[in-house]
Amino acid sequence: MNKGLISGLVLLVLGLVCGLLLATVNYFTAPIIRDQELAVKLAALEEFYDTDNYTVEEITVNEGAIEAAYLLKNKTTDALEAVVYSTSAQGYEDKVKLLIAIDSDYTIRGYKVISQKETKGIGDQVVTHDFNVTGNLISDLASFDGISGPTAPFTTQAVLDSFMAVQARVNTDLGGDV
Amino acid sequence: MNKLDNFLKGFLKENPLFVSVLGMCPSLAITTSLENALGMGAAVFFVLTLSNFIISLIMSNKKLAELVKPVRIPVYIVVIASLVTIVEMVMHAFLINLYESLGVFIPLIVVNCIILGRAEAFASENKPLDSVLDGMGMALGYTGALVIISLVREILGQGSITIWGNLAIDLGFAFDFLKIQPLDMFTKPVGAFMSFGFILATIFAISNHKANKKAKEVKGQ
Repeated sequence: MNKGLISGLVLLVLGLVCGLLLATVNYFTAPIIRDQELAVKLAALEEFYDTDNYTVEEITVNEGAIEAAYLLKNKTTDALEAVVYSTSAQGYEDKVKLLIAIDSDYTIRGYKVISQKETKGIGDQVVTHDFNVTGNLISDLASFDGISGPTAPFTTQAVLDSFMAVQARVNTDLGGDV
Repeated sequence: MNKLDNFLKGFLKENPLFVSVLGMCPSLAITTSLENALGMGAAVFFVLTLSNFIISLIMSNKKLAELVKPVRIPVYIVVIASLVTIVEMVMHAFLINLYESLGVFIPLIVVNCIILGRAEAFASENKPLDSVLDGMGMALGYTGALVIISLVREILGQGSITIWGNLAIDLGFAFDFLKIQPLDMFTKPVGAFMSFGFILATIFAISNHKANKKAKEVKGQ
């Protein structure tokens, strides 16, 4: 047989062995990683609402920046009291992931950054920065206040994109007009 | 070269960062805190030791080596990439904070020239045991270098030393005593280059001084 072909086959076998090994490791670590991400989200939800009083229903949405929505229904009255959106929009370095909580009267209850890799010292202020929209109706983003500094406009845009996506989507989940 | 030499040469004589000046990109980017340096060092230690072992295992078999020779670079990359991916997945599962602060530099270990360099220059021509010792020594030397840079940068830049997680030493009192603020610049890329430059200069000054002394002694005799 051709020598080059055998070399190629050796490489193929090595690739298969390595692939198998990776699949095995992934089999053990993937559930842990998923649980961790969920735990972070639930802990963040806890900040806005006392999750003991609500049943949380997750629906996958794929509209703009929105990845998923969590419908919070009152346990006793079964009325939909709030929707929390999990969004992911492109910032400067990577995706900026947010949770945005909207009450049933369309006011912005709060928001929280779950993950970001923005510029250290500038864009990463996104975690603590007050975008000055809490308490507003979601239709009213005029008071939105971004971060300033090099690369920060990209970060700010990611947050704004997330809010805009929620603005576009919120009627579908809460029903009615803003 | 005996086994002890193989192990020890990575510390000073052939230190990958300070002497060969290899793999600078991740080294300068992640050395913002001691914790990052230790985490990166541990990841490189695991990958370098195992990749050296596996590659020398493949290459020390004469028949296999001949077959692998024309495709050896892809073979190295496959081995190294698999190991790095394992490190990445394990770190994501069990050390989430470290995973997030090292960020993109964990997957980039794949193309770290220290690892590829040792595979080509040492592991492919030596026995598995020697290669493992070489890998360990090089990784420890690399970690040591990272620790030195990160200590300089973290103390000057943030006024603290983060050993692991919440275990940190706050040096704020020293800065208060001197009535100065930590220099934020040192946590940024410019600080990385400056610290690295000054450390390199110090090391070269010491070694030059030693070499001069030796030369004088030889002349005097």
